[in-house]
Amino acid sequence: MNVKEYISSGIVESYVMGLASEAERQEFETNCVQYPEIAEARNVFELALEQQLLKESPAAPLLLKNQVFDKITSSVSETNTSQLEEESTPVRSLSIWRWLAVASLVLLAGSVYWAITSNNMYQEMRARNANLQDSLKKANDEITTINGTGAAQPKSDFKMASITAGSDASVSIYWDTTSKDVYLMIKNMPEPPTDKQYQLWALLPQEGAPPIDLGMIELKQQRLLYRMKNVQNAKAFAITLEPKGGSPSPTSQPMVSSQPINL
Amino acid sequence: MRKKDEEAFGYLYEHYSGALYGVIKQIIGELELSNDVLQETFVNIWRRIESYDENKGRLFTWMLNIARNAAIDKTRSKGFQQSQRQMPLDGDVIQPSVRPEIDDYGLKKMIFKLKDEQRLLIDLSYFQGFTHEQIATALHIPLGTVKTRIRSALTQLRTLMQP
Repeated sequence: MNVKEYISSGIVESYVMGLASEAERQEFETNCVQYPEIAEARNVFELALEQQLLKESPAAPLLLKNQVFDKITSSVSETNTSQLEEESTPVRSLSIWRWLAVASLVLLAGSVYWAITSNNMYQEMRARNANLQDSLKKANDEITTINGTGAAQPKSDFKMASITAGSDASVSIYWDTTSKDVYLMIKNMPEPPTDKQYQLWALLPQEGAPPIDLGMIELKQQRLLYRMKNVQNAKAFAITLEPKGGSPSPTSQPMVSSQPINL
Repeated sequence: MRKKDEEAFGYLYEHYSGALYGVIKQIIGELELSNDVLQETFVNIWRRIESYDENKGRLFTWMLNIARNAAIDKTRSKGFQQSQRQMPLDGDVIQPSVRPEIDDYGLKKMIFKLKDEQRLLIDLSYFQGFTHEQIATALHIPLGTVKTRIRSALTQLRTLMQP
């Protein structure tokens, strides 16, 4: 290893300032043991940083010092008190009883509070859990529908056709040419008029052949993937706006249609 | 110190609390919370002093990293985010945080001597605690480049430190 290059690579500063990755840190620590020059370079930078930061820094609030000390010494003083109690004479037992009584009241209040909060938490977790179960079941159901016959035919060969019309409508169609399943994924579709509905069509390769109805698209929020009717053959897909319930053949010009699919 | 000697701890506090407080303030930018973080930092130093390994670096470095991590953790907390309306690092617009009354000492003051891009990178990584990966994504720079540029900014910073 080129130690000089390593030292000047910025790893020393990166390590000291806590910006090195875990792997870099471990490597650096090993290198420090192996090459004293690297440990020395680290030490020099640490010292420079330390002096820099000590040179000009605001004073920490004095009040804080006491708070910190109270906090860290509280564990120590607890053990001290228990030692005192062991040594205490029976004369003081009355006050100890009073303390115990107060302490038990505090404990009681504490445990009531604890019971209430944990019960609230329990209820909340239960509700959340039920919600999660619910959405998991829904998701599973959707997957089952999507898998359907696909599960029996693992060798799927998906063709994808994207349909976009300006920024208004963007739809992807997945056609499994093995199982012939057609899925529609909606990225964005404008809400149709209340008496109309979108209908998906497959356009056939044969010249003059009528489009095949692949089903109606029920626009539902939070629903992205729709399973449509199967189709044996298609060269492209199109979507038209049809009267509610659909038409046996398109009654309007396609709102959007896809590029021909490469089979 | 290793014996949890309170006197020694008092010395540490008197000696180093200002420097640590300075860095915490530069990360947090809010007085009240900076006090909390300084307190947490010293409690952590007290509790974890056994894990300090002098072979891995100076005590001050170790304390500084505890302080920095505690401060960054605080900025990630829900309450802080709400109070600061801090933007997550996923957009295109990132401004280094510049606050006159707390940027005129220590490392913050030094990074203003760096080039804009270097200053931004140090600000994002050291003071805001974003990972190299997050910075790469947000700035649309390859990860390797982020790492190289941060390292060169750090070596640049070091030359500024020499008296």
